[in-house]
Amino acid sequence: MTNKSSSEDLKDLWQGQQTDPPRIPSEDFRRKVYKFERKIFWRNVREYIAGAVVIAWFGYYEWKFRGLLVRVGSGLIIAGALYVLFQLHRRASVRIAPADLGSNTCIDFHRKSLERQRDALRSIWSWYLLPFVPGLVVLLIGSMMNQWTKHPAGLGQFVIHSLISPGIMALVFFAIWKLNRKAAERLQAQIDEISAPREGAD
Amino acid sequence: MASREDLYEEAVRTHGSALDRLARAYEANPEARRDLLQEIHLGLWRSLESFDARCSLRTWIYRVAHNVASSHVDADRRSKARHLVSIEGVDLTDHRVDTAGTADRRMALERLMALIRELKPIDRQVMLLFLEGIEASGIAEVTGLSPANVATKIHRIKNILIRRFQAGGEHDQ
Repeated sequence: MTNKSSSEDLKDLWQGQQTDPPRIPSEDFRRKVYKFERKIFWRNVREYIAGAVVIAWFGYYEWKFRGLLVRVGSGLIIAGALYVLFQLHRRASVRIAPADLGSNTCIDFHRKSLERQRDALRSIWSWYLLPFVPGLVVLLIGSMMNQWTKHPAGLGQFVIHSLISPGIMALVFFAIWKLNRKAAERLQAQIDEISAPREGAD
Repeated sequence: MASREDLYEEAVRTHGSALDRLARAYEANPEARRDLLQEIHLGLWRSLESFDARCSLRTWIYRVAHNVASSHVDADRRSKARHLVSIEGVDLTDHRVDTAGTADRRMALERLMALIRELKPIDRQVMLLFLEGIEASGIAEVTGLSPANVATKIHRIKNILIRRFQAGGEHDQ
């Protein structure tokens, strides 16, 4: 028996499977597209609500507390949240167009999809986390100064206590940045892998 | 130019069964497979509005189907952290399955499905297009690989198939 006969037999076996292709009316498709759009809409609404909660919370700080630094910090956090909401809105509108599914070859489609994920991971630090950092730093300094004014204690003990929460916050931010960078590197390796054979063969 | 509805009708008539087989090869779970198949049909229906005949309808259909299915696997793979292999990394020393009897043919089909699901996206696409009887130039047009690269992969696929499967009760050597 030759290679050809073996693979031809498997082709017959493959193509001879009993199938039941679905018959889906156009109306069903329109309903599904509408459902999908609604899902995206509600996901965006949830993100905007989360942003609104942050803004309301720090707006309350702005109104409630008199310390200058606390108020400046709260204002900066509100500005950061508005910037993040704007970015979420901008990025949510960048979606795969239906035409891309058929006009792109499988390699191009896969590579673009990996590049999109990589870029999102690489940039999440700068548009999702960094905008909150200036506000948080100013707010923490303001809180520390308020605390010091109200309850002056030993300077060493005060500094240690004051640095615990910013330290934890910095560690969390660092871990997020590090994990995202690792994941982006893995995606880049996959992009290089799928780009290599085509470049080599052409 | 035909309407989207007409193109979709033609696509289902000519490639409906191939899309069904493709969904089976990509997704083992019956419920997820049904969802995937619907997703492929939905992607096809939506995309056909932009079909401009710069490639054949067959190429368009297969690109949409594989692109939707690969995205599905990609999302699934992240959650299950499955390890996929390239066609060059497939073990050739496996035991052969005879494809003569009905039960044997069913088992051969299951093993073929398992083999396909092990593969990295591009190799899976080449394997499935090969099994559908698409010629090398057609596979190159769908996948974006060069014809030479497709030929190399097909050679490797044939090698794997002959080592793992045995046709019609005959012996290979």
